[in-house]
Amino acid sequence: MSAAEVTEQGAAPAASSVRYENATKRYGDSTTAAVERLNLEVPAGEVCVLVGPSGCGKTTAMRLVNRTVELSEGDVLIGGESVRERDPARLRREIGYVIQQIGLFPHRTVAENIGAVPQLLGWKKERIRARSAELLRLIGLDPELGDRYPAQLSGGQQQRVGVARALAADPLVMLMDEPFGAIDPINRERLQNEFLRLQAEIRKTVLFVTHDIDEAIKMGDRIAVMRKGGGVAQYATPAELLMSPADEFVEDFVGADRALKRLALMRVADIQLWEAPLAFVGQATAEVREKLRGAEVPYPLLVDGERRPLGWLSERDLAAETVPSRPDSPLGPVLELDDVMRDALADLLQGESQYAPVTDRGGRIAGVLSIEIISEFLASPQAKTEEHGAVERPHG
Amino acid sequence: MTCALLPPFLPASIGGAVEFIFEPQSSNVTGGKEVGGLAQVIELTITQLEVTAIALAISMAVALPIGLYLGHRGVGETLAIGLGNVGRAVPELALIAFMAAAIGVGMLNVSIALAVLGIPPILTNAYVGIRQVDPAMVDAARGIGMTEAEILFRVEMPLAVPTVMAGIRGATIAIVATATIAPLAGVLTLGDFIINRNVYGADGLLAGGILVALLALTLELLLAWAQRLLTSRGLRLNAA
Amino acid sequence: MVSAILMMPLAAAGEVGESFFKERTSETLPCQATDKLFCFDWAKENIGRYGTPTVQHLELVLISVVVGFAIAFALALLAHRRRWLRPPLLAITGVIYTVPSLAFFFLLLPITGLGRDTVVIALSAYTLQIIYRNALAGLANVPAATRDAARGMGMTEGQILWRVELPLAVPEIVAGLRIATVSTVAIATLAVFAQGGGLGQPIYTSAGLTFKTNIIIAGGIAMLMAFVFDLTLLAIQRYATPWRKAARG
Repeated sequence: MSAAEVTEQGAAPAASSVRYENATKRYGDSTTAAVERLNLEVPAGEVCVLVGPSGCGKTTAMRLVNRTVELSEGDVLIGGESVRERDPARLRREIGYVIQQIGLFPHRTVAENIGAVPQLLGWKKERIRARSAELLRLIGLDPELGDRYPAQLSGGQQQRVGVARALAADPLVMLMDEPFGAIDPINRERLQNEFLRLQAEIRKTVLFVTHDIDEAIKMGDRIAVMRKGGGVAQYATPAELLMSPADEFVEDFVGADRALKRLALMRVADIQLWEAPLAFVGQATAEVREKLRGAEVPYPLLVDGERRPLGWLSERDLAAETVPSRPDSPLGPVLELDDVMRDALADLLQGESQYAPVTDRGGRIAGVLSIEIISEFLASPQAKTEEHGAVERPHG
Repeated sequence: MTCALLPPFLPASIGGAVEFIFEPQSSNVTGGKEVGGLAQVIELTITQLEVTAIALAISMAVALPIGLYLGHRGVGETLAIGLGNVGRAVPELALIAFMAAAIGVGMLNVSIALAVLGIPPILTNAYVGIRQVDPAMVDAARGIGMTEAEILFRVEMPLAVPTVMAGIRGATIAIVATATIAPLAGVLTLGDFIINRNVYGADGLLAGGILVALLALTLELLLAWAQRLLTSRGLRLNAA
Repeated sequence: MVSAILMMPLAAAGEVGESFFKERTSETLPCQATDKLFCFDWAKENIGRYGTPTVQHLELVLISVVVGFAIAFALALLAHRRRWLRPPLLAITGVIYTVPSLAFFFLLLPITGLGRDTVVIALSAYTLQIIYRNALAGLANVPAATRDAARGMGMTEGQILWRVELPLAVPEIVAGLRIATVSTVAIATLAVFAQGGGLGQPIYTSAGLTFKTNIIIAGGIAMLMAFVFDLTLLAIQRYATPWRKAARG
């Protein structure tokens, strides 16, 4: 049964495993292959990242799955079925396809773009419309945007629509080729986080291609590091990759800062935060001074009635009788419990601040993170043993 | 200039046409005087090229400054583009006839009429050519202290050469093609063979067609070659 | 009288017809014997004369454009898929573009003889090369990423062509149609030389060639026809491509 048929009956959609069996791709009469005897198994519901230097054949390998590049030798099996035995066009309608330049149809509305594959599959109009709206909500966009044209959307929005389009017909497998590559770094981080959150919900089998090892570690359940000539140097979980690189090539590629990279495997919530001495507007400054004594953070954090951070208070602020409504120092970066630790560290460093308030999903203060906490953690023996526990993908 | 009803006409043969081009033939109409032959062909061709050259010179003199200026200033887009559209719509026969009736016949007047045809493509392309020069370059040039005239001549024009040349080529072909009907205004070009067919006969008619086609093709090849020359020099200037 | 004064600068520029310096009074002579620029009365009375030439002209243009478009479109679809066709087709269309239509009429003569058919063939060839070039460019300008996405999502080659490439090529194709149609209306005035009728007919008569009002009317109708076609096609293009308006706005 194809995914389309399964969804028709309202059953829970399944994801399929993907297996490469001696898959080889040779172009023309060149003796070196773009992909050479690739043997890889991606379990259903997992994100497998193909990463490597340019020319290593990662994109070619990905395209072998939906036959946008044809196999020279060997086979690729989706859920046990060989792709060679399927009609290419029909096969592709069951596989989600996201590319770097997105490739939305400029002449169709956003909703029509999302509904492209369902339309090819012959769904009824009403159903397509409903599905488009559903997906827009899922990717975090206002359903009203459905009537706009791609040219009216920002780059980040377009990329999200590209992902929604790939998900529309509930595919068995998703292929993503540097999907966030063309986005600016800030939005890229946001999109990565959102995709991880999405994946936690829908658990598709994803083949994700990138040249960025940091993205690979962040996004992948499993990572295949490929070398030029299309062979796999190592196929392992992110933690294994960081702790025990298979050879010099992998070690070089992963980078010397493996310790810092480990931070990509953690969330801010995983670490013990400092408590923030809170100050409310109008509170007596004497009370606040009391709290400061012995606190790990030398500055009080001004919060509103909902315990949402407003700014840091300075000595000058505390000179008055009561806490002023406007803090002296700006707020600086604000982190969330959900944030990946590596991104949190980057924000701290970029904001040039020692401390940053950490909030929960509702925006309420949960603690304070400082660079000191992070470096202490990295040095601690606890960090070394926790590496084994870090195999689990942080779920949203 | 005979405009009487055209006599019944028989399809000509190419062989007869080629003969006509090279050897003078005797014609029934002119009472024994010979028509055709290489000498006459060359004479008419030269006249056609003459009137084309004058017309082209006039239209370039008018259209280039206006088009380049408007493009440099970035104004008058509606005029420049619109003129291109209007120019295409002008019926050639009406134009020649009207100008002949209005300002008279003869080489200069016909050239003016033809120049009207040549102005739109040159103006439009001059405008577009300047407009599509990278604004960053113009900005940089302004920033290092070039005057507006220097920017126009040293930066924008060399970069605009391909587009401007394309416009001139288009204008030339349009003018040489329309010059074919210049005999209506007293300037005898190769079109005479076509228009006055009862003098030149069926062979002359076909010969006229062949000759005009060859003339246009040759001119186009020459201009393409000239453009290639000019463009590489322009690009070299740009790199220097 | 005013027209005579206006003509003076032009007269100074070159040779001048005798008629300019003849004395005349508009009260004693019928309008067409004078050198007046435009005789309104004559125009009002004789406008019916232009009916048949206009219809002939319309026929010539419509048939030529339709035939030229059909062939050009088919060729462009072929050349889009098969790259090897492009250089030869480009050379042929380049030649057609350069050879003046008038010459083209007469090159066809041994085969098709004088008459409307010759004109239609020549004009079709002319519209063909413009539309072919534009259609091919329009199809080729579809962004590679859009094609890649269409193919990767499971569209067949045919579906990609009809659902993605052609709709996106419409602006360029219609641009070619507009240029071709406007040019054809202008060139069709020369059909008279091949005995094909059209609006050149009223002009190319011994009386017609010097009668300015006549030329203005015939030429004016032709230009008006061209503009109507142009604007209609532009409106069609705007209607068929709503996404471009959105991008601008």
